[in-house]
Amino acid sequence: MVRRLRPVGWALWRGLGGPTPPPSQQLLLRNGLLLLHLQRRLYSNSNSNSNNSNNSARGPDGEIDLSGYPPERIRNFSIIAHIDHGKSTLADRLLELTGVISKTGKNKQVLDKLKVERERGITVKAQSASMFYEHGGHKYLLNLIDTPGHVDFSYEVSRSLAACQGTILLVDAAQGIQAQTVANFYLAFGEGLAVVPMLNKVDLPTAEPARAAEQIESAFEIDASGVLHMSAKTGLGVDRVLPAVIEKIPPPGGRIDRPLRALLFDTWYDKYVGVVCLVAVKDGAIRKGCRIVSSHSKTRYEVAEVGIMHPEPTPTTSLQVGQVGYITCNMKSISEAHVGDTFYRDKEPVEALPGFVPAKSMVFAGVFPVDADEFDRLDESVQKLTLNDSSVSVHKETSAALGQGWRLGFLGTLHMDVFRQRLEEEYDANVLVTAPTVPYQIKYRDGRTQFIRTPADFPSAAAMQDAVEATLEPFVSATMIFPEQYMGAMLELCTVHRGEIQGHTFIDESRVMLKCRLPTAEIVTDFFDRLKSKSQGFASFDYEEAGYDASDLVKMEVLLNGEPVDALAAVMHRRTVAAAGRDMAQRLKGVIRRQLFDIIIQTAANGKIVARETVKQLRKNVTAKCYGGDVSRKMKLLNKQKEGKKRMKKFGKVELPQEAFLDVMTTSKKDPGRQ
Amino acid sequence: MAVVPLSLYVHWPFCSFLCRFCAFAKAREPAGGADHERVTAALVRELETQLAPHADKELRSIYFGGGTPSLAEPRSIGRIIEAAGRAVRLAGDAEITLESNPTSAEVAKMRAFRAAGVTRYSIGVQTLDDGALRAAGRLHTGAEGLAAVDRARALFPGRVSFDMMFGFAGQTPAQWRAELETALAHADGHVSVYQLTVEPGTPLFRDRRAQRVVLPGDDAQAQMYEAAVAACAARGLRHYEVSSYAAPGAESVHNMGYWQGRQWVGIGPSAHSRFVDPGSGQWVRSVRTPDIRRWVQGCEDRGHGTARTERISSADAAREAVVLGLRTLDGLSLSGSGGGGHSTLGGYLRMDAVAEHAAAGRLWWDAAAGRLAPTERGLAVIDSVLLDILP
Repeated sequence: MVRRLRPVGWALWRGLGGPTPPPSQQLLLRNGLLLLHLQRRLYSNSNSNSNNSNNSARGPDGEIDLSGYPPERIRNFSIIAHIDHGKSTLADRLLELTGVISKTGKNKQVLDKLKVERERGITVKAQSASMFYEHGGHKYLLNLIDTPGHVDFSYEVSRSLAACQGTILLVDAAQGIQAQTVANFYLAFGEGLAVVPMLNKVDLPTAEPARAAEQIESAFEIDASGVLHMSAKTGLGVDRVLPAVIEKIPPPGGRIDRPLRALLFDTWYDKYVGVVCLVAVKDGAIRKGCRIVSSHSKTRYEVAEVGIMHPEPTPTTSLQVGQVGYITCNMKSISEAHVGDTFYRDKEPVEALPGFVPAKSMVFAGVFPVDADEFDRLDESVQKLTLNDSSVSVHKETSAALGQGWRLGFLGTLHMDVFRQRLEEEYDANVLVTAPTVPYQIKYRDGRTQFIRTPADFPSAAAMQDAVEATLEPFVSATMIFPEQYMGAMLELCTVHRGEIQGHTFIDESRVMLKCRLPTAEIVTDFFDRLKSKSQGFASFDYEEAGYDASDLVKMEVLLNGEPVDALAAVMHRRTVAAAGRDMAQRLKGVIRRQLFDIIIQTAANGKIVARETVKQLRKNVTAKCYGGDVSRKMKLLNKQKEGKKRMKKFGKVELPQEAFLDVMTTSKKDPGRQ
Repeated sequence: MAVVPLSLYVHWPFCSFLCRFCAFAKAREPAGGADHERVTAALVRELETQLAPHADKELRSIYFGGGTPSLAEPRSIGRIIEAAGRAVRLAGDAEITLESNPTSAEVAKMRAFRAAGVTRYSIGVQTLDDGALRAAGRLHTGAEGLAAVDRARALFPGRVSFDMMFGFAGQTPAQWRAELETALAHADGHVSVYQLTVEPGTPLFRDRRAQRVVLPGDDAQAQMYEAAVAACAARGLRHYEVSSYAAPGAESVHNMGYWQGRQWVGIGPSAHSRFVDPGSGQWVRSVRTPDIRRWVQGCEDRGHGTARTERISSADAAREAVVLGLRTLDGLSLSGSGGGGHSTLGGYLRMDAVAEHAAAGRLWWDAAAGRLAPTERGLAVIDSVLLDILP
């Protein structure tokens, strides 16, 4: 129970894991709901320090009145940056500067609420925060819409960007442009957003602002001559950020006198109020009591509350054209909230906004409870977690080796890791995640297309001959940025991973940006680690999906004394089979215990043996001593072994301990034969 | 009605040095020496309490183990043997074994032990490699070990055994073969040959975990075991149990009692008993507390230091009968009483698995005589065989 009670304030309200409160507050938490009031009061106390909040006009129930903020007094913007380039720190400074949070010096990544976000220094879920700011004699409402930086979450990014008109491109003046910066820049650029480059960490002794500016110009072909220099950590230059936002980012379009048109761009489930929707009002206004309709489902809702994130949800009298905030409307299930949906006022239908292409799974992995008895509890946890992360696709799967579990589809390997970490940290789950696979495609002669989620779906040899027209695998378009002395190593890395080099650019006198098309399967295991080690940590890497290409795919089978072991089969390119087969056979040899006969381990593809190893038969295992006192010890040991034997999976006469499977299926494969 | 045979185990808990591989309950002798008088009195007291229900049986063997029982005063050993004989009738040819280390002080007491009633002498030679002895924490040399064997043979002709161990760090099968040849030249009618096993909780366990010690691999260990079988056979010592080799008629009566399911009573810290409770007719296992101080206190206050007594279910008794019986090359009779509702052991076992292992040459199954025994090859892997044939 304590786990559920841990989140406080807004985090409790959201039902997500927030930061651990100080002990005194944890005690109060035991009193449940009462605490919520207390927390709210605590927050309003801290907010009362804020001049700007006090200055806001108030509605009859004390809600903030936003009617004085027409679109030209509003800016909706985001910050895009590589990990550790200071995005969250800058957000903290801006929230302090505008009095949204008090300036205690303790604000660390206020918008990154998930533990995993703080630990990894990444943003997973989009968040937003509204700020009031005076500039040039006018008061502005500035909405900072925080976006995930990693490409795995590009679906979240594009959703968030759809609510913005511009973005700050934050670059670490010491590290310069990284691959992720490039990917995010093009995402924002593609959305038609105004991009305002800024250089952070200029106070560092290693900072080279001139060089970073040159990189921005050559990589993005934008003018970086007047680029703002700052240090979010010390606050240097931060006062010039919001004026730049107001001057360089256009106000939102839309008109107050048109019928309501609101874009639903993010949702989450809260156990007290149900579904909470983040909306960007594109035309008209929305207020408590409005009857609204979903363009997608045509379902009607009555708006129960509207407000802004300040940074906790703070009710307002209304949300008007150009503004960004939350609404609640008694939506019971997250499946009703269709991200990308357009809301309009009942009986005043409007043309729906374009919406979003749903997220596609790039990577699949089996997820199983470590202890089979935990299945039901884990099932509940997976359901809850996918409620707030609809980009995870879920299929039940039963494995001969690992029992009941799921095959989950993720947007990328970071997404997969984050999901596993959230399962473990927020739901206390003990799970086992198999090595990731990618969704291969089979095109049949009859025009049918089939996705291969698991090796069991792969057509038989006969079907391959008779019915299959082509096998295809997914590709990514990768961007790598590194100092030029690593050019050789990076080219070689791409080549051994079946990459096709598409070209390179010098972004300054010594740093290279390399573009390469790679099979997705090649980057889902340890590509990133190898990239880092081959470049001594200097190379950065990012990618985007780049469609499917025909590829010579085979299914590698694993045989133990001639019996196939389905759970260990894998689909891969013909070129990688020899190395992968050798590696698998060697690893199995390392984990299979000796039995009373020789065990032949074989890996095969297309009926041809690729590799063979032998586990020699057991010669001796008898316990040396067994006298009076040893008897009960010996019997206990025997009973334990007997229990272990019952849990063994049998393939013919060969017994495989569960641990052998775990070892072979969960460790990402060593890069076979590539030193 | 035939007299029911009984064995007595006596645990002397003190050692003059502690071996790094030993997992038995023991303590270094306190400075100024152990309180022999008090420990002996406690043993006698416990013996009287524990043997009282077995007065109608016949004591076939007494075994002084430990610890190091050769550190006890011969007078103490004599008092215990006498007390046992008073409590239960002692068979005329009873085997009374004492374990001894080959240090000079202990060797000097050998004659006195014989006078006290000991009839069989078992010496912990362990290895002839002085480096390995030192590394194991033992305070004697290999030469002293063999000299002790020779001395014992003069005093207990035909009734001397000694222990050898293989699998020490750095040992090769060739070294072991040579060492064993030398040792066997001194053998009397019995030797015990053990593989050095790494028991949890021992200093050796910690050394290996920290990789301070690297022991020979599985294949080398198996070769050393096979070498022992061959070398002993060549000297006319029959392999009759996993670790035991004897000339005809020189088998250890006491140890065979364990493997053949005989009743035994154990006294002293951590000693186990296994017997049929005369009241209920049920098999019972009991164990004394391993803590020497608490054990002595228990004997003085209540007459015993028993920490736990439990019934052995008929299924467990059957399982033990099979596990222990198949450690001997003579095996066991499957017409004996079965477990888990079966009338015979044969009905209890998975006979299809028995047939498979028999076909593979790992078991002898004589259906007509109802006798099941391991082959020499099967004995080496009997732990795996047991997992298959037990239900």
